[in-house]
Amino acid sequence: MSDQEGKSSFDLGKLGEIAGSKRITRRAVVQGAAAAGALAALGPFAAACGSSEPDTSASPSAAAPKKGGHIRSAIGGGTTKDILDPHRTYYDSGSKTVIVWDALMGWDQEHKLVNKLAESYEINADATVHTFRLKPDLTFHDGSPVTADAVVYSYQRILDPEMAALGAGGLTELKPSGIEKIDDLTVSFNLTQPNAVFVEAVAYYANAIVPVGFTTPNGAEGAIGTGPWKPISYDPGLQTEFVANPDYWGEGPYADKLTMIEFADPEPQLNALLSGSVDHLANLATSQVGIVSSTPGLKVLEAKGGGWNPFTMLIDKKPFDDVRVRQAFRLIIDRQQVIDQGKGGFGRVANDMYAPYDPGYPKDLPQRVQDLEQAKSLLKQAGYDNDLSVVLNCTTSTMLDDPDAAQVFSEQLNGAGVKCTVNKVDPDVYWNEGNYRSYPFAMSNWGTSNYLYLTRQVLFPTGPYYETHWKDAEWEKIVLEAFQTSDDAKRNELVSQAETIEYERGGHINYQFGSMLDAYTDKLGGLVPDNFGQSGATYQRYHLFYFV
Amino acid sequence: MPALLKIILRRVALGLLTLLLVSVLVFAATQAMPGDTASAILGRAATPERLAVLREQLGLNRPIATQYFTWLGGIVRGDPGNSLVGTEEPVMQLLGPRIVNTAALVVAAAFWSFPLSILIGSLSGLFRDRSFDSSVSVGSLALAALPEFVLGLVLILLLAVQVLHVFPAVSMVNPQLSIWSQMHNLWLPAITLGLACVPYIVRMLRGSMIEVLESEYVQMARLKGMRERVVLQRHALPNAIIPLIQVIALNLAWLAGGVVTVEYLFNYPGIGSALVDAVRNRDVPLIQAIVLLIAAVYVFLNLTADILTILISPRLRTGLR
Repeated sequence: MSDQEGKSSFDLGKLGEIAGSKRITRRAVVQGAAAAGALAALGPFAAACGSSEPDTSASPSAAAPKKGGHIRSAIGGGTTKDILDPHRTYYDSGSKTVIVWDALMGWDQEHKLVNKLAESYEINADATVHTFRLKPDLTFHDGSPVTADAVVYSYQRILDPEMAALGAGGLTELKPSGIEKIDDLTVSFNLTQPNAVFVEAVAYYANAIVPVGFTTPNGAEGAIGTGPWKPISYDPGLQTEFVANPDYWGEGPYADKLTMIEFADPEPQLNALLSGSVDHLANLATSQVGIVSSTPGLKVLEAKGGGWNPFTMLIDKKPFDDVRVRQAFRLIIDRQQVIDQGKGGFGRVANDMYAPYDPGYPKDLPQRVQDLEQAKSLLKQAGYDNDLSVVLNCTTSTMLDDPDAAQVFSEQLNGAGVKCTVNKVDPDVYWNEGNYRSYPFAMSNWGTSNYLYLTRQVLFPTGPYYETHWKDAEWEKIVLEAFQTSDDAKRNELVSQAETIEYERGGHINYQFGSMLDAYTDKLGGLVPDNFGQSGATYQRYHLFYFV
Repeated sequence: MPALLKIILRRVALGLLTLLLVSVLVFAATQAMPGDTASAILGRAATPERLAVLREQLGLNRPIATQYFTWLGGIVRGDPGNSLVGTEEPVMQLLGPRIVNTAALVVAAAFWSFPLSILIGSLSGLFRDRSFDSSVSVGSLALAALPEFVLGLVLILLLAVQVLHVFPAVSMVNPQLSIWSQMHNLWLPAITLGLACVPYIVRMLRGSMIEVLESEYVQMARLKGMRERVVLQRHALPNAIIPLIQVIALNLAWLAGGVVTVEYLFNYPGIGSALVDAVRNRDVPLIQAIVLLIAAVYVFLNLTADILTILISPRLRTGLR
């Protein structure tokens, strides 16, 4: 991976192209609407929010951050449907909940597991009992202590089917009866099946800790968490105002006040930054990078996330039931070209596998590159002699989904003698009831997470996002063993083997790991790119921002 | 004036019928849209289990006719219901501040652009085929050809971002405060919206002025030897005003609807952006309320214009008796 890192840097020539291609059209305005809609779909990819432990060395200026000031941040995608409820974050397109509430564990900006509300974490030998001990003296925004009761209440609430909670999908081995209070600060989770990476589900930002008796707040009042920011006013789809939580358990916040302003369209969002009405813009569109970088006083921050937009092939449907066809398709794609033309040049070439920050990620497998001759010969062996035609399904939305990349890949397939047409579907229909899982050839998108956590959701038939109809006895044996292996080194080795199997015969074509871009005024410091790579390049780490 | 009353009552009844038809059409359209509120809320996270829970909670499993008539029953009682999403606030509570914001924008736009356009239009008709008139014609044609969002983008570039930094480029209205205490958010959208109206009013006024000036009674007045000033004041202007009422009503009605694009462009928190939100969320009660509100404004303005026209044009007024 490391040799790809440089490719998404801000190459001036590329910026010129981007700036030149920026045109104001009615279509751009309309696409903005669709894009904003797509942002609302952010929920499930957001794997975790890492609030880092003090790490001033990462900030550009070594001086101690100055206190005070009012950060105004332009975010996208909020609508009147939003509510401030950390367990139902599909209602919160701008991810305001992640700065109000904390989970027991989290991820830092390198996507390494860190403790948040939990002081310690223990796992038993067969990976069925996971015990978390809270940091002492933690308080909620209203001054009440964070206790084991709050943890028990929070997890009961998450597991309540009536809540349709986002984090429940990662907690399939946990039943309400398995949540056990040990003492005032300690809670054990007794699982019905071993899961050595259960802690990753606990680190999922939507599995946040709320006070006992918490219900969905009506407005800012009652939005009581443990996070760095306390909401003081909440106008869904318009703006949210926060004040700093002086008793925050982690570093910061340095500013006194934060206002997150919602924009339905990227155009006014950028204008707000250009005219100095906001200090920070989360989720800069690649087409806008040129303008921002050429404006004095403004900067772009790129986070090289582990999010990915794979092409999915159903391995039990023709023609993809033949592994030679799947491998041929993986040899037809010109990854860099799809990134350049479909992603504005931002992103790093990937090798069909995913979870790049997982310690078990097989970094040493040879990078697959376009090889049309071999692809054609594989297709011939599979019985297709320039007579294969496929339909590539994707959504019409440009923000998180990727119709442009589909178009580029489709042209590459046509160039290789495979007749491919792109079928763009309204996102509501595409994702509805998991429709996309029934398209033989389609697209999906995911945020950064580790491998085993994702397999539960994507690769097992019981997972809600069973998008490749993956079934492989050898793989299943390895993965089930990994779930039971508490020993990190052994488990990483198993993960590596499982990923290698997918590299050899899986149903994903993963051509890239995406970048997230933020834009901000140079009056702000403390912005650290977050590999998590969703919902902005710093992933809402406003508590570390300060005015220089 | 019972005849006039009869006309008014008839028009009001027709207006209500129009609104009813609009509500049926809008409801049908929301049902025909792909997906539903639950899938719009969940987006990518739409698993069958979550959808089932949400559909039950939102009452989307009820028969379509039941949903419509429940809503209609509410409207008849004056209650447009609750939003389907978020904390399910009453629609009126949600829309109240936004209606004020939009009204402020429409009034501000009309306030500067109508008098100015009327003046330019009349002068242009008066000085027909002179250089002033031809430059107005070219200018208003060019303006009319620009969609309002292009106009807005050009104004943003000129007045906020690139050339001058006079106005804020976006309307960052603080919803916690009243719009009147933050008028600076109003200027640029009001200029855009107003400019979009100018060419229509100018051209209408010019046409009607020319027509009046060429009419027999104006020629008669001139032949009588009346001074041009008196001719204009007493004979030309009052008659040119009559079509003006229709023009103003039409433009106000257009403003109420055209505000959607401009609000979107400036991120202005009015009913236009609420409508965009509501459609995106398939929030049927909110969609219905906003569309009906805009339709009602249309109906009301047209009705008012017709009545005023009847009242001030002698021929029609006497015809009633």
